[in-house]
Amino acid sequence: MFMDDDFTDDAMSGVASTIQKLEDLLLVTVPRDLMDDQVLSLRREVVKHIRLYNSLWVLLDFSQVDICDSYFGRFIQSMANMVRLTGARVIISGLQDAVIETMVELGMTLPDVRAVLDLDEALAMSRTNGKVDADTSETELAELSFLDSSTFDFFEV
Amino acid sequence: MVSPRLASRTWSIEGMVDVVTARRCGLKTALSLGFSTPEATKIAVVISELGRNILLYAERGLITVSPHSDTLPYIEIIAQDHGPGIEDVERVLAGGYTTSGGLGKGVSGSRRLMDEFEIETAVGEGTKIRAVKRLYRRR
Ligand SMILES: Nc1ncnc2c1ncn2[C@@H]1O[C@H](COP(=O)(O)OP(=O)(O)O)[C@@H](O)[C@H]1O
Ligand SMILES: [Mg+2]
Repeated sequence: MFMDDDFTDDAMSGVASTIQKLEDLLLVTVPRDLMDDQVLSLRREVVKHIRLYNSLWVLLDFSQVDICDSYFGRFIQSMANMVRLTGARVIISGLQDAVIETMVELGMTLPDVRAVLDLDEALAMSRTNGKVDADTSETELAELSFLDSSTFDFFEV
Repeated sequence: MVSPRLASRTWSIEGMVDVVTARRCGLKTALSLGFSTPEATKIAVVISELGRNILLYAERGLITVSPHSDTLPYIEIIAQDHGPGIEDVERVLAGGYTTSGGLGKGVSGSRRLMDEFEIETAVGEGTKIRAVKRLYRRR
């Protein structure tokens, strides 16, 4: 049977990452200590689910993540890039203040503050903008423009 | 308030699991020593960056995290390996330089996150990085 909600368990911390459909939005809960091989499978699963549900929006929820190093930052970016290539739009939520502060000091450029939303806000945003064409709604979006253009490739983390 | 005596710990870094364990323990240790969540997070991220570098460039090594609960408490991280060593330390410290297709922000960023940061390295011999973060910043 196809499991919608369960994708993988993080053996280290016992925190599961999940992929759930909420209206036009795909909610991806990123686990706390993502292992490198889990990064690849999580990205694959997300794309698979975008196709499956024709999701217009993908909400990457980082509320479980409390330690974000530069590799993890690169993962956030590559995940966002990949989602965009499917035509869906990216919202990120749940980045803790300590995580944001650390990433900035590490030298990672952070996305627009509008990226940091809770689930209710994300749903409201997808309901308002979900059916609008990409051009008009783009400015409303949580733009995830981490780092420089040279890093806008596909990463195999 | 003087925190209870906190023990220094060393982890053998041979896989990502070891890095995750070390950074988690480092986070806890820093919090117990009295660091705020953002400051403890920075310490954990530095452990993570240095641990990943050990794996990536030297395959294995050691990370020691020592809390010092003196009158001026601080935490010390030592990451050492017998890997290839770093050829151009200045370039690595300047940031944006990578030999692995990474971001090149691990070492340079870690230095910014800490109060003291020293690299001892010799090509063909290995690398030892010592980093310190003090609980109270010098004014
Ligand atoms: N322990 C190490 N042994 C040998 N070389 C290292 C070590 N740590 C870092 N380096 C070198 O320094 C460069 C920059 O490291 P870093 O700032 O962590 O960025 P990245 O790991 O993304 O390349 C690495 O690409 C590597 O060449
Ligand atoms: Mg590195």
